[in-house]
Amino acid sequence: MELDKGLVSGSMALLVMKLLEDGDMYGYQMVEELKKRSDDTFHLKAGSLYPLLHGLEGKGYVSAYEKEATAGKPRRYYHLTKQGHSVLQEKEESWNLYACAVRKVLKGGVCSYGT
Amino acid sequence: MEHKTIQDYLETVAQQMRWKRARPVVIAELKQHLEDQRDTFATEGYENAEQLAVEEMGDPVMVGTELDCIHRPKPQYGLLLFTILFALIGVLLRVWLTASWEPYNMNIDPQRTVLAWMIGVGALLCGYFLDYARLGLYGRMVYVVALVISVGTLMWSPRIMGASYYTRYITLLFPVIYAFWLYTCRRKGWIGLLLALAGGIPLPVICLQAPYLFGLLTLLLTGFVLLVAAAWSDWFGIGRRNTLLFVMFCTIGMVAITFLSVFSSGYASERLNILLHPELEPLGRGYQACMIQEVLGASQWFGEGMREGSQYPFELQVPGCDSDAFLTTLIYKLGWLPFLLLVLLFVLLVVWLLYRCIHQKSQLGKWVVLSVVSTLSMQALCSVTWNLGFTFYDSSFPLIVGNLNMIINMWMIGLALSVFRAENIARDDLRNKIPSLPRYHIKIELQKY
Repeated sequence: MELDKGLVSGSMALLVMKLLEDGDMYGYQMVEELKKRSDDTFHLKAGSLYPLLHGLEGKGYVSAYEKEATAGKPRRYYHLTKQGHSVLQEKEESWNLYACAVRKVLKGGVCSYGT
Repeated sequence: MEHKTIQDYLETVAQQMRWKRARPVVIAELKQHLEDQRDTFATEGYENAEQLAVEEMGDPVMVGTELDCIHRPKPQYGLLLFTILFALIGVLLRVWLTASWEPYNMNIDPQRTVLAWMIGVGALLCGYFLDYARLGLYGRMVYVVALVISVGTLMWSPRIMGASYYTRYITLLFPVIYAFWLYTCRRKGWIGLLLALAGGIPLPVICLQAPYLFGLLTLLLTGFVLLVAAAWSDWFGIGRRNTLLFVMFCTIGMVAITFLSVFSSGYASERLNILLHPELEPLGRGYQACMIQEVLGASQWFGEGMREGSQYPFELQVPGCDSDAFLTTLIYKLGWLPFLLLVLLFVLLVVWLLYRCIHQKSQLGKWVVLSVVSTLSMQALCSVTWNLGFTFYDSSFPLIVGNLNMIINMWMIGLALSVFRAENIARDDLRNKIPSLPRYHIKIELQKY
C-alpha cells in the first residue's frame, strides 16, 4: 500500500532527529537507515532530506562536521545538538499525543498516553 | 528536462540558487550523496546506475528552490551603519576641533578627510562583499603578495622620523594575513605546524625593519592566540597536546629573541624609562607625556578645560594633538564625558564582534574575526594609554584618528562582517573545493543510418 506523502513529510524532521539521537550520520546513511528501520516503508528522497537537514542546522538543532567515512571519502556528518535533543523530546511527546488521539478516533478505544 | 547525469542534475540545482557562494558548499554534499547512490546501484548490478541515482534524488528544481530559500546571506546592516557613523563622528570631530588651528596651518583639511571617509566606506563594503573563504583557499598567495608589498614599501616608502610611513599601516593587516596563512597548513602534520611557525617569521622581521613596535606587539600577540586556537582544534592533525607543547616552546623562544633584539638596541629600554618617569626629562623625551598629563589635569568632565598661566595655545604645546594625541585634544576641548562615551561605543563594537566570533562554526571565520578584533583592541588600548600620559606605544584610535588608518580599519571590519554574512554556509574543508560545473557542453550524438 502506498503511504500518504502528507503523513510522512509532516513527521520527517522528527524521524531524522530520532535517527541522529543514536549517533552521528551523513545524508546517504540516514536514507538507508530510515529505510531499514521502517522495513522499507519510508523511502526518503534525498532531495527532500538535504533542505530539511540544512534547515535544522540553521535553527541550531543539528550541527555538521567533515569526517572521512569508512571508504576513506570525506563525508559531512550531522550531530544532534543539546537544543536538538530537547526539541526532539517535545516533538516526540506531541507526536505520541497526536497518534494516540487518531487511534482513539479510528478505533474508538481508550488511549493511555499522558494519563 | 530529463536529467540523466549527476553533472546535469547538480547544474540544475545550482541554477536555482541565487547566492553564488552557497552553491559549491551545497553542491559538494549532493554530489557525494549521488555518487554513493550510483555506486550502490552499480554494485546491485544496474546498468544505468547513474540515471537511477539521479531519479532517486527527486526534482532538482524543487530541491534547488528549497535550498535557495535556506541559504541566503545574513545582512549585517546594523554593524555596517554603526561603523560608517562612528567613522563619520571621527571625521567631524577632527575637522571641528582643529578648525581654529588654521593660523598655524595645523587644521585638518575637511575635503581630504571627507574623501578618506568615503574611500573608507568603499573599503568597508569591499571587505563586506569579499569572499573570505576564497581568500583562505588562496592563503599562501595572499601571504606572498602581502610580503612583496611590505618589502616594496620598506624600500620605497618615505621615511618619517626614521620609520617607513606606509609599512606602518600595512603591518596592521599582518594578523589577518597570518590567519590566512595558518589556514593553509591544515592537516599537514608536523610539516604543517612547522610551516605555520615559519610563516610567522618574516612578518615580525618586517615590523622590526619598519620599525614599528606596535605592529610587532599586535602581531606576536594575535599570532600566539591563533596558534593556540589552532592547536586546540588539532588543526595540523598531530594531537592537541603535542601541538600545544610545541607551540608554547617555539613561542617562548620567539618572544625571547624578539625581546632581546628590541631591548638590545636600547631604544625600547629608553621608551620604558620615559613611560615610567616622564618627569625626568620634562623638556626632552618626556615632554609629550608631561604635557598630556598637564592638559588632562586642566580638563573638565564636560566642556573646554582651563589651563592657567600658559602663554602658548594648546595646539602648539601638545605634540601630535592632531594625530596620536588627538584623544587628549578631545578630552581638553570637549571634556572627559564625550571621551568616555566614544570609548564605550568602540568597546561595544569590539565586544559584539567578539561575541559573534565565538559562535562561528568555521575556524577560518573565527580566526579572521579574532585577528581583526585583536588588532582593533590593541590600537584602541595603546591609543587610550598614550592619551592618558603613558607614552610607550603610539597608535591612532581606530576609525577616529588618521585617514589611512581609518580606511584600513574599515576594510578589516568589513572583512569581519563578511564572515557573519556568510556564517550559515561556513565550512572548513579544503579538499571539497568548488565542484567543476562547466558553463558549456559539447554534445556529440552518433546516429546509425
